[in-house]
Amino acid sequence: MAIAGADPLAAYQGLLCGGLGALCGGCENPALQISNTIVFVTPLITTGIAVALPFRAGLFNIGAEGQLLAGAVTYTVIGIKLGNGPAPVVIPVALIGGMLAGSLWAGIAGVLKALVGAHEVVTTIMLNYVAQWLVRFLIIGGPLQAPNGFSASPPTGPGARLPTLLPHDNSLIIFGLPSSVYRVHTGLFIALAAAALFAFLLWRTSLGYEIRAVGQSQRAARYAGVDVRRTIIVTMLIAGAFSGLAGAIQIAGVDHGLTDKYFSDTTGFDAIAVALLGLGSATGIILASILLGALHAGGAVMQSDAGISANLVLVLQALILFSIAANFVGAIRRLLPFGRKPAALPPDLPPAAGLMSESATPTVQT
Amino acid sequence: MVHKRLGILGLAAVALMIAAACGGSSPGTTAKQIKVGLVTDTGGLNDKSFNHLAYVGLQKAIADLGIKGDVIESKNGDEYVPNLTNFASKGYDLVLGNGFLMQPAIGTVAGQFPNVHFAIVDGAGTDASFKDLKLPNVQDLLFKEQESGALVGAMAGMLEKQGKGPANTHVIGAVGGISIPPVNHYIAGYKWAAAMEDPSIKVLVGYSNDFSDPTKCSSVAKSQIGNKAEFIFQVAGGCGLGALQAAGQAKVYSFGVDADQKDADPSVIASALKKVDVAVYTSIKSVVNGKFQGGETRFSLQNDATGYTLDNFNLPADVKAEVDGLAAKIKAGTLTPPADIPA
Repeated sequence: MAIAGADPLAAYQGLLCGGLGALCGGCENPALQISNTIVFVTPLITTGIAVALPFRAGLFNIGAEGQLLAGAVTYTVIGIKLGNGPAPVVIPVALIGGMLAGSLWAGIAGVLKALVGAHEVVTTIMLNYVAQWLVRFLIIGGPLQAPNGFSASPPTGPGARLPTLLPHDNSLIIFGLPSSVYRVHTGLFIALAAAALFAFLLWRTSLGYEIRAVGQSQRAARYAGVDVRRTIIVTMLIAGAFSGLAGAIQIAGVDHGLTDKYFSDTTGFDAIAVALLGLGSATGIILASILLGALHAGGAVMQSDAGISANLVLVLQALILFSIAANFVGAIRRLLPFGRKPAALPPDLPPAAGLMSESATPTVQT
Repeated sequence: MVHKRLGILGLAAVALMIAAACGGSSPGTTAKQIKVGLVTDTGGLNDKSFNHLAYVGLQKAIADLGIKGDVIESKNGDEYVPNLTNFASKGYDLVLGNGFLMQPAIGTVAGQFPNVHFAIVDGAGTDASFKDLKLPNVQDLLFKEQESGALVGAMAGMLEKQGKGPANTHVIGAVGGISIPPVNHYIAGYKWAAAMEDPSIKVLVGYSNDFSDPTKCSSVAKSQIGNKAEFIFQVAGGCGLGALQAAGQAKVYSFGVDADQKDADPSVIASALKKVDVAVYTSIKSVVNGKFQGGETRFSLQNDATGYTLDNFNLPADVKAEVDGLAAKIKAGTLTPPADIPA
């Protein structure tokens, strides 16, 4: 960075300020920075789950982006059609619609994997393209294009908008700025609830147990009486629902309609890093989402305060991610054995033996 | 647990900083220096056209007017609002948004900061359905792209009429990015002037639905060349570089757009100019002089902000005379190229 002619301290200060609202210099507003970071963090949590859950079942879901888009499109359609209805009815209906659409999108890959053995990496990547081009078609010349000919859909109705945490008011001043600049919306709580649901599903339900069993050894799981095909399909359906939820929340809380930003959206791909850095645990996913969201939001402040080129910002962010992945994850994993869920990767027992002894009960039941 | 601790840390930082009275009004400053923030669209500063020109205008203002200028490049559409807010919240005097697609973001942020000046190239401050909010603190920097389009269109028409096209097919093409007004203005002028010079000409118009991926524009251009087009006019930003290269490979001529794209491909015989740098500089100057006005500012041949430049081609003198004559007529107002693509 010094070679690039910028002040390294100012750069990291900018990144910290823009990301976490800490150590802000100049005239940066920390509350605004935190708000911006949370807006980026929210969809990362749910898409991170959508990658982590199949990962537990030994499936690599690269298609979170496509599933997110499916959810976003569906939410937009419902939001336009029913947008003038009462929010307590419209929002849940539209959110569930988005989840179902994401589910369907991921389910295609799940069914293909379970029945034909088509590799889910290939199918989910391909379905990403289908979704991305479908969005393009829909809002450029397609049925969802706004009547005035722009590359965006009409905005969703007022009943389909998640409220922001602070009132959306240009004249009310909070922390020195109009309160409408803080874009943090209630979707954050939905995402956190989703993370709790994910942890519960994985560790407290028999389905979660089956998912983990399939992930460790399909053969052993089958021997223990788990229907592997069914588990694969169900896992993908649930994962897709989480991704679809992310897309739906983005429309509901931030964008209020499809825009061309979804052509180049990368949330579903960042989610892969989130899931891997988060070691597939709910807490880990939230922390990793905060890290990636902070890097994303901090880049702008780094550019404007330290005068660093946007490309160098990307290099630095990648380097930070790289060093965290390389050095710290192992250490964190060693420090984490509090409670019953130490981000458990395979247990010490040979997997098959452990599974057989534990899964005696379900076999008897079936 | 760790998360909660982080949250508390963040809140503490907020409280600390608010106490330190950080905000728009910096009371301690002497001899106020005008601060200008430029937010690019997703094309980035190295797009060789639009954002690059805005940066040139900003640099010129830094050198000539002694302002302080900063840039944030948007990597994705969801950064428009935070990036604009970043400058506005720090009390910048003028926040420049670059590009048609940033209109709703400008509309949102300009509504929140009525005391900050905003300017947007190719648009206005709008609501989510792209309806102009007519905010008094937003300057719309708009161009008569149809004038520049007409000049290169006339060039293509004249060359076809005189039998100087590569195979003289009387077919020419235009590759647009997305069908939005600034793109269609160019194509409208192009088609209008080409047909005026050569009534037998056929103008093919295609869209790539993209502004950044060259392969998409390349395939649109190839299909037009396959239909005998022998002049390709790209109106698609970074995507259009692919159209220029496709023209080069097929040994037909092409026209660049916005900036002088002479170096993009040897097939570029001329570029239709849109001098974003002039518009940006003019806007900054209006703030420096205290003469900022909201609403539409139209840039055209009148203020030397549209036009064409000759590139890798030795244009016959009579063709050049005809094109320059057309420019003079448009400037004088005796001829007006249409803003909508003629049938």
